[in-house]
Amino acid sequence: MVELIDNTLQFSVTLIACVGAGILYSKSREQAYFLLTCFLGTFSLGTLYWTLHVLLFNYSPQVFYVSELTWIASYLFLLTLEHVLSTPEERKFKHPAVWLVPIICIPQLGLYLTHGDILFNLLICGQTMAAAWYSVRGLLYARRQSGKPRDRQFFHIAVLSIITLEYCLWTTSCFWVSDTLTNPYFWFDFLLTAALFMLLPATRKAVEG
Amino acid sequence: MTYIENIFVCIAAPLLVTALCMGKRYARIFFFCFAGMAACLLSAYINTFFAQLYNADLINATTQIAPVVEEIMKLLPLLFYLLIFEPKAEKINTAVLIVATGFATFENICYLTQNGAAQLSFLLIRGFGTGAMHIVCGAVVGFGLVYVWPRGWLRVAGTGGLLGAAITFHAIYNLLIAYGGTVQYIAYALPVFTITTGIGASKLFKVKQQR
Repeated sequence: MVELIDNTLQFSVTLIACVGAGILYSKSREQAYFLLTCFLGTFSLGTLYWTLHVLLFNYSPQVFYVSELTWIASYLFLLTLEHVLSTPEERKFKHPAVWLVPIICIPQLGLYLTHGDILFNLLICGQTMAAAWYSVRGLLYARRQSGKPRDRQFFHIAVLSIITLEYCLWTTSCFWVSDTLTNPYFWFDFLLTAALFMLLPATRKAVEG
Repeated sequence: MTYIENIFVCIAAPLLVTALCMGKRYARIFFFCFAGMAACLLSAYINTFFAQLYNADLINATTQIAPVVEEIMKLLPLLFYLLIFEPKAEKINTAVLIVATGFATFENICYLTQNGAAQLSFLLIRGFGTGAMHIVCGAVVGFGLVYVWPRGWLRVAGTGGLLGAAITFHAIYNLLIAYGGTVQYIAYALPVFTITTGIGASKLFKVKQQR
């Protein structure tokens, strides 16, 4: 029951954010909003499929990768969005702190590979690691700026929060406690829903900056 | 047992003769129609292979394996067309829709061969439901590709994302059908509703742009 509420909430929130991003795109024709719409739209579609499967058949899809493929596609859009929002100077910016991303993520990937599907975990962890790399670099770069360009830090913080929460979610799913609210998995998923929604105002700030 | 390759030959033969009669100008349309039907034929084999590999039952095969395989198979001839011939944007959409139509038609023919054609009312609903679903998936990919293909950096992400969206839409449709009962009628109405909403939204968008 908690899983159903959690997934329904996540689908509704991402759909609302997707519509919001779509409206912003139709008004401003900014490519960043188009990519954000695609990210949120594909993410919500994946969640909808998962939710419907749990609702109708009382178990999550376990044979093939429908939702997973959609989430991989959504992270492709997020990566492209990060690339579009970055400036040429930002892309050249180097800082040793970005190496924290693989240092933290690779051991996690090892854990997921022992618990789940190899191909899916390699793809999704590779993408999220790349996205986190972009965000850490972008965050460090934005914090050295002043004025409006500094506002881009909120976008990078939102992306980093999403990725951190995704990793927490996957890690807790490896040590499943129960189907009730005592399971930290659901706490992280509720937080992830909030972080996904926060990406909309954060992207707006970054675009306007 | 259904000999779908025999059905394919039977359907493709008169179309091939017509294509030869009509000349080069219409060759592209027939090529995409054949490609759609061939994609459907190959999808049937690949679906069966994966269903055996994963030991999946009918519901799991329909809701999880078929959408992924079928949408990927429909995209392959288009990718070939896009990468080799580098067509203009307006030609992409036509190509996608014809592939989807070929696929849906061949799938319906195979369905009729297996289940008979006695119930007109059900076949009418199914024809509009499943047929329209393939067209919706094709339209999603087609309209999306028109936008993303000229933007080099967006090609990979865009094509992957569109494929993901089409797979999920197809999977949600199959999921609702597999559940049966009243839910399946929601599924049958879903593609027509999506097409209507899409056409309405695009007209509204055009009016706004003209203003």
